[in-house]
Amino acid sequence: MNCEAIGELLPDYLQGRLSPELASEVEKHLPGCPMCGEESALWKKLALLPEEQPSPALQSRFKAMLESYQEGRWEKTSLTAEKRKTAPMLWGLGNWKQMPVAGVVWACVFLVCGFLIGRHTERPIESTNNPEIAALHQEVAGMRQMVALSMLQQQSASQRLEGVSWSTRLQQPDPKVLDALLHTLRFDNSVDVRLASLDALSRYAGRPEIRHELVDALQERQSPLVQVALIDLLVDMHDQNAVPQLKRFQQDPKIDPTVRKRVDWGIQQLTLN
Amino acid sequence: MREPFLRFLVIIHERTNSRLQGPMTNSMSDEELMAQVRSGVGDMLGVLFERYHVPLFNFYRKLTGDRGVSEDLVQEVFFRILKYRHSYRVDTPFRAWMYQIARNARLDFLRKHRSETSWEPEMSPAVEPVDTAQQSQEAVLLHSALMRISEDKREVLVLSRFQGLKYEEIAQLLGCEVNTVKTRVHRALQELRQIFHQLEGGKLMGRKGSEGVWPNPGSVQ
Repeated sequence: MNCEAIGELLPDYLQGRLSPELASEVEKHLPGCPMCGEESALWKKLALLPEEQPSPALQSRFKAMLESYQEGRWEKTSLTAEKRKTAPMLWGLGNWKQMPVAGVVWACVFLVCGFLIGRHTERPIESTNNPEIAALHQEVAGMRQMVALSMLQQQSASQRLEGVSWSTRLQQPDPKVLDALLHTLRFDNSVDVRLASLDALSRYAGRPEIRHELVDALQERQSPLVQVALIDLLVDMHDQNAVPQLKRFQQDPKIDPTVRKRVDWGIQQLTLN
Repeated sequence: MREPFLRFLVIIHERTNSRLQGPMTNSMSDEELMAQVRSGVGDMLGVLFERYHVPLFNFYRKLTGDRGVSEDLVQEVFFRILKYRHSYRVDTPFRAWMYQIARNARLDFLRKHRSETSWEPEMSPAVEPVDTAQQSQEAVLLHSALMRISEDKREVLVLSRFQGLKYEEIAQLLGCEVNTVKTRVHRALQELRQIFHQLEGGKLMGRKGSEGVWPNPGSVQ
């Protein structure tokens, strides 16, 4: 066979689709013919070209495309349109993930459900926890009271000051704490602590019994600073009951001249009103 | 109160995650999978992508020589498969239909870009490490030769040699006689041989000149 005839058979030979007889004819020809032999060899050598791998980006691009198709961000084809016409309700429910409007509706439904469940479950928690929280509040208040009382009896002035500040953290102070504060106001060694306790007591000056005690605390033995602070507080409270006490105090010859001026001013203020 | 709600959540979770992947889809034929895609089960296209994206990439890589363009074209093929899924006739060979789309995608690409740029293919192939230096040398030459033969011959050669298509399939794809395909394969091999020889001659001469400076790492010292 000549090269032309072999050339016609070669493609089939290379794909292994020749009959055994014809294949052996070709095989006889190839070693003796450089051209046909080389062509056959080249076909085999093409196997040297490696199979290359695309970049991972191709995979992610494909996935993105498929997702956009499945989420319905894709042109609606005639088939799906027909389906929608024939069974709109079923379509909406069956492919709810793929339909943006249905997605929004479902989101709203879930939101409302969540809200209702949340409200439903919140109420019992509140009612069951209420007594506990109240008990906790009480406990904390008790603790603060104890701290305040014990600190007011401390040796160091700074600790007693801290005790006074602890007492201000109590929303409803115990009579014991008020007594301790009044005692501090009268008898504490440190002027600072006495002034602090007066500050603390001023928060409860609305109570008549406290105000009575404050008026009574205006004594000549007090430090002038505390006396002035007391006078100011009584004037602030517009306490008419304080006037007799102030007048009595005015007569006292031992008081500081500055305090006397303050008492004069105080009496003037209170009698004016 | 709580349990039915949890069960409901589990069902939702399962439904959203049931991507129908597994041994069942692996045993399905291309045609069965494509029939599913045609009827709207988009997930099945993922299986077809897994089967064909590497062969298609290599098909384009050998035709265009450009990795980026090849990836774009592979993406385009799967886009078109989805877009024109209703034009697939059930029980006809999927692979032939897919390569038809692949060819058209490439022709459209050429039409679009031919006017814009005279775009040259990359000549350097990404050759992975092969057994010996001589083999890799040959692979580089072969790739260069393949890129230099005329496009219509290269296409036939790539389809028959690398994509594993039978001449009848190629004939159907190109819309010509089977014998025309066979002749074209033979011509392609002839052209490849001539160009390969030219390149080899040039390469040998170049190697002789540079051998003293850069000894071949693969050669025995």
